[in-house]
Amino acid sequence: MTASDLQKAVLALDRATMTSELVKATQTLCGLRNLEAAPTLIKVLGFNNPAVGAVATQGLIALGRDVVPTLLVSLDVGNYGARAWVIRAIATLRDPRGLDLLEHALKADIAPSVRRSATRGLAEMELEGPSFFRDFSRCCEALFKAAADDEWIVRYAAAFGLEQRFCQNSTDTGLRMQAIAHLEQLSSTSEAVKVVQQRAKLALQRLQAE
Amino acid sequence: MQPLNEQQVIANLRQRDDASDRYYAAWWIGKMRSQHPEAVPLLLDTLSALNDDPVDEDDRGVALNAIRALGLLLNPAAHDPLMQLLGSKDYSVREEAARSLGAMKTKEAIPQLCQLLSGGPAAAGREQVGASTLKEPCEALLEALGNIGVNNPDVVAVITPFSAHPRPLVRAAACRALLQLMKEQRWANELEQLLQHPEPLVRRGVLLDLGASGWTAALPAIEDASVEASLKLVALRGLAEQSDDIKVLDVMDRLL
Repeated sequence: MTASDLQKAVLALDRATMTSELVKATQTLCGLRNLEAAPTLIKVLGFNNPAVGAVATQGLIALGRDVVPTLLVSLDVGNYGARAWVIRAIATLRDPRGLDLLEHALKADIAPSVRRSATRGLAEMELEGPSFFRDFSRCCEALFKAAADDEWIVRYAAAFGLEQRFCQNSTDTGLRMQAIAHLEQLSSTSEAVKVVQQRAKLALQRLQAE
Repeated sequence: MQPLNEQQVIANLRQRDDASDRYYAAWWIGKMRSQHPEAVPLLLDTLSALNDDPVDEDDRGVALNAIRALGLLLNPAAHDPLMQLLGSKDYSVREEAARSLGAMKTKEAIPQLCQLLSGGPAAAGREQVGASTLKEPCEALLEALGNIGVNNPDVVAVITPFSAHPRPLVRAAACRALLQLMKEQRWANELEQLLQHPEPLVRRGVLLDLGASGWTAALPAIEDASVEASLKLVALRGLAEQSDDIKVLDVMDRLL
């Protein structure tokens, strides 16, 4: 019996110790484009090695939205690094099944980079179907919360996100007015960080130019 | 834990019983850019403990946080007290005072900063036996001169020798300052080369230096650097705030 490519790749990963070996083994695993490699790639995210984590995350994203259910059930809440990568992958895939997770991450995660990724995910998530309006409103409410976050980068992501959410959609004028109000707040001197003001001003210009 | 309000934080800084409350209060005031009228006087009050002999460790911690906070609040009342601290015997106090004076762009501090760097890499930049620090906090001093931004031949002559210091992060601090002052691409080239350094710690430091330089031509190098996105965003914040260039914001959006 010959081992399958997947088994061989998983074995190579188990034997790897140096970062360069781990990266190479992870790249091989990603190259298989096999959904069954996903649990191993998710395990790799917990190694607390940024170089390896970045490769594994790209590999998971390349698997497309079929990987989302696996990502959702395998989130290791105790591992900050792994959590950040999973949130990032789900945000990049723009899959609406990640809404609960991203909403929770933005509300409860102590790591600013996780809240930042979650905010971007809520800004770009592709909503559809009968729950569109409810989900759209949940994304907006979450972005309004992000606009009041203690960390500047989360507020920056909120300014970006409000622009994304309303640059095509003007169905709900109530939410749109709230979004404009939040952006005006972020672009004013009550916002302490200049780059957040700059981004909010740009968002307002783009939204009001329509 | 409930977040503290400004009134509570000011009261915490004023009291003398709980050092950790004072320590946190000094940090909070800077982080939140508190405009409370008592903020700056109370922060300045904490500095007098640095003259005690011996200095109380807790008081020293509060004072160091206060120095950093003063660098964030940018109140002119802090110019003179911070300049006096450049003469402190305490390396960390000189280091933090230099950083805050740089942030405040205190031109009057230039002669003292240059004085501390005098003798170049072989004197101010000399390695200390049994310590990880150099004789002087060279990175902070060089960065301060760059941030203050007075481009004259004397300042440039003091900084330039450090662009050949054995430590890559000192070289980076010198190149960053020279780029800020002289606005010549060759110093950006030096930094971009240092951005390829095998040590992640060096790459991170150099990335922040490139961001702080405000040199927009470095945008592609920052975007492509092998450093985590969180830090690239911090570097790009520096670039965006100095250049007002929308291209920088577009790159930041992609990195979120």
